[in-house]
Amino acid sequence: MKTILLFLLTASLSLASGCNRSSGPAAGAERVTIALMPKSKGNAYFISCRTGAERAARELGADLIFDGPTDPDPARQNEIVENWITLGVDAIAVACENKEGISTALRKAQARGIKVLTYDSDAASDARSFFVNQASPVGIAHTLMDEAARLCNSEGEFAIITASLTAANMNEWQKHIEARRATSYPNMKMVALRPCDDLKDRAQSEATQLLAAHPNLKLIMAICSPAVPGAAEAVKQAGKAGRVQVIGLGLPSENRRYVKEGVTESVILWKTEDLGYLTIQAAHALATGKLTPGMSTFKAGALGEFEIQGDEILLGKPFIFNKENIDQFDF
Amino acid sequence: MSPPPIPSRWKALLLRHESILLLVLILECMYFSSVGRRFASADNASDILRHSVEIGLIALVLTPIILTGGIDLSLGSLLGLCAVVFGTLWRDAGLSIELAALCTLGVGGLAGALNAGLIAGLKLPPLIVTLGTYSLFRGLAEAMTRGVDTFTHFPESFLFIGQESVLGIPAQAPLFVLVALAVWLLVHRTTFGRALQAIGFSPEGARYAGIPVSRRIAAVYIMAGVVAALAALTYTARLGQAKADAGTGYELLAITAVVLGGTSIFGGKGSVPGTLLGVATLAVLSNGLVHARQPREVAGMLTGALLLLALSSSVLPKMFAAWRARRHTQRSAIDPAITEDT
Repeated sequence: MKTILLFLLTASLSLASGCNRSSGPAAGAERVTIALMPKSKGNAYFISCRTGAERAARELGADLIFDGPTDPDPARQNEIVENWITLGVDAIAVACENKEGISTALRKAQARGIKVLTYDSDAASDARSFFVNQASPVGIAHTLMDEAARLCNSEGEFAIITASLTAANMNEWQKHIEARRATSYPNMKMVALRPCDDLKDRAQSEATQLLAAHPNLKLIMAICSPAVPGAAEAVKQAGKAGRVQVIGLGLPSENRRYVKEGVTESVILWKTEDLGYLTIQAAHALATGKLTPGMSTFKAGALGEFEIQGDEILLGKPFIFNKENIDQFDF
Repeated sequence: MSPPPIPSRWKALLLRHESILLLVLILECMYFSSVGRRFASADNASDILRHSVEIGLIALVLTPIILTGGIDLSLGSLLGLCAVVFGTLWRDAGLSIELAALCTLGVGGLAGALNAGLIAGLKLPPLIVTLGTYSLFRGLAEAMTRGVDTFTHFPESFLFIGQESVLGIPAQAPLFVLVALAVWLLVHRTTFGRALQAIGFSPEGARYAGIPVSRRIAAVYIMAGVVAALAALTYTARLGQAKADAGTGYELLAITAVVLGGTSIFGGKGSVPGTLLGVATLAVLSNGLVHARQPREVAGMLTGALLLLALSSSVLPKMFAAWRARRHTQRSAIDPAITEDT
């Protein structure tokens, strides 16, 4: 019994290793294969990235593999990358869940001659050629401030609700918001900056207090995503919809209701489809040698030119979602 | 009245659970080789082996536990705790990698002893005890790191175990083979293993037969703790990071592999080669689907289907044989002529 089992096992193994010699690197295969990994597969944000990625792959005539973890195992991203290395793809683009952990696998891919880039969230910088950065702090800050000024006719009081006073990224944004205000909109005045601990109900009570304390308030700017619907709910309950505007950084899906009711004027984020599109365009260019380190711009098909800063490709200015266009987006 | 025909030795061999599972494994390999260009390559065999070491280790030590009629749900969480303990000892306490590894194995043993004490000492049900330690170990790991602290930048010599190959064989493979061999010897070639089987059949009976039941049960849980710590080390070396979420969900994958391998969840019956085949079947499935460019969610569905199929395939032939025997006796009762013919 055992000897037969053993025999079968060795037979199948030798058969397997015998096959592999004949199928070495595919000769003359011109189609580029690009593998794209989301942080998690069911996330609407990444499904929307995928739509853009598929459009880019179609235009380029490239093969696209879209796969990612469906279970909570943090090692899964690594395993999939390692499988892709064996599969012999030409380029890998990953939205990293574990910065250090995934870098191990990405370095291995690079060592095997596979082009690696990251999008949405970066790996260690030596583990990839480029990071497709969806939003620079300056881009986010300027879009927010410009939109606020447009709604207030460049004058009057506004308040900011942030996640916490210590969050590094938000402090960075707020610094650029203040700089933009000082240089371009000197007649606008920030009367309050309140933290909401990234909680919707905390944001709502902060906004309610703001409305009571500052009767001349014209606009609330929420720079963490739970605060946007939170502030909108406060304004709505106070019966000040239309008199006090709400704008912020968040997902269209979380704010659709308030945008349609006219409470929230605009929601600011990037176009995730464009992020997917640009990532695949960059991966293809990297794999075919058209994109190399040191370049300062990159032309991505139908979307045109993108700026490169160091080893980061910038998606550019964030997108403004409002009553007219919000129904086209489902993330 | 003639007895129903005795199945030949050949037939008995074919109907053995392991043989059916091996057939499934071979079919899987044949299918994926035909659709995936690089599936049947030495590189990929090495990938499969590397990725199944941790779940394989847990499944191996889970086999004797399930053989006694027990269960251990805490092993995935323990892997996470041990990874964090290892990282803390090395980075924060300044221990050398070797010493930190040794202490981690000790912590694994202690955690196993906690399970053992509650199950064998206080006679609490293993399902409830390990459900408790499942939360406890993961919670401890998260508390130690506040859920976010990640240990990285381990020395190259340590990462070698998880990431490099020697002569085309993953560096952690010999470790796995060694544990597999040890567990196989223990379960199938020693009186210790026979005792586990007896306990699984009937703990009371085993006690009357003079087997030190509590001590035997305690031993398998402690062993499981130590091996889970070992898995934490290979896991950390493979990823190059130790974080509190390491090994999430591994206990269920390991239980699936063990049951797929033909070990009865009620205890008393089980085989280590079966468990290895179970691990291989699941690992090949998960890997092969990437090569076949099928979405990962298919793996979940197929794993479930495979488990149910394997379980019923080991029962169906017996039921069929019983049905035939019954029909035979019925027919011969109605028409005595048939009995004379056969």
